[in-house]
Amino acid sequence: MNPKWRLAVFLLACLVVAPGVVGLALHMPRFGAPVLALGDAINAQGTAQRHVSNMVSAVNFDYRGFDTLGEEFMLLCAVTGTVVLLRGARGEALDARPGIVPGRPILPRSEAVTLVARVFAPLIILFGVYVAAHAMTTPGGGFQGGVIVASGLLLVFLGDGYQTWRALVKSRVLDACEGGGAALYALCGFAGMCLRLPFLSNVLPLGTAKEVFSGGLMLLENLGVTLAVGGGFSLIFLEFLEETRARKPDEPK
Amino acid sequence: MNLLPWLVAAWLLGVGLYGIVTSRNFVHLVGCLSVVQSSTYVLLLAAGFRWRAIAPIFYDHPPGTPAVDPVLQALVLTDVVIGATVTALLLAMALQLHKKRETLDPEELRPMR
Repeated sequence: MNPKWRLAVFLLACLVVAPGVVGLALHMPRFGAPVLALGDAINAQGTAQRHVSNMVSAVNFDYRGFDTLGEEFMLLCAVTGTVVLLRGARGEALDARPGIVPGRPILPRSEAVTLVARVFAPLIILFGVYVAAHAMTTPGGGFQGGVIVASGLLLVFLGDGYQTWRALVKSRVLDACEGGGAALYALCGFAGMCLRLPFLSNVLPLGTAKEVFSGGLMLLENLGVTLAVGGGFSLIFLEFLEETRARKPDEPK
Repeated sequence: MNLLPWLVAAWLLGVGLYGIVTSRNFVHLVGCLSVVQSSTYVLLLAAGFRWRAIAPIFYDHPPGTPAVDPVLQALVLTDVVIGATVTALLLAMALQLHKKRETLDPEELRPMR
């Protein structure tokens, strides 16, 4: 189909769908007054039932923990796919030369960039760990913390270059974090089944609300998510940065 | 004001799909897919929004304070993370395509001709 026809079909489809969309928007609940009962019920009872103050984490790791398990495996699949597509092609050797684009010079790194990256990389990684650890009390959790840790690691590449980054960030460790995190989450679910309770039942002591170590099994699940997200994003960064290296001599063009 | 969030979500979906339909570059296409995805963020967050309410975190406020819907916030949270990794997967595919065929234009690929 040529592009003009495709655009015409798309515009026709838009015209057909548009009245339905506007009609639906007119019949949606009033903005700012949600009608969904589940969220309000969790807000009302979550702290008393699960001894945590962050209701988003309570939904993610407890009330709808099973959905997060599925989401965890989607993450695992997407990261595995990316790694399978990109691994073994370029930049596997630690001393691989940078890829050169004709007409674009490779400028030396400024000392200011190195200084800023060296100062901020550990601080950002620490902040990521803090955000991940306070999942049950204040805004945060494994998803956000894992991504912050991974981006802190990326600053090492910015400040100290490819070889230092590769020496520091080992893909075997990241593989173990990614797979181990997802496995830890799934195993947390089986803990309840061993005690003849439903899958993903919160079997550990719940602790006191507003403390870092509260929420029982949710803490372990949060650790699993942190490892999986941090490891997964770092793996993606690693594989894409390997692509910045020069083509190997034996690599088919 | 009641219509605005829903129409913004529909508009983001529409312009994203328009970009995908007319795209001549796979990297641009992946960007358009992210725009389509952001329409789901707007839809979900708007569905759970409540005027004069706090975030669903009862650390400084006692439980029972009016708060926005935590279920939809959790959905958006996982949506964002999955969106980022799927974008990475699609970009890796685009990279492999460029290595094999030296092109990123969907029109250059045989089934599209």
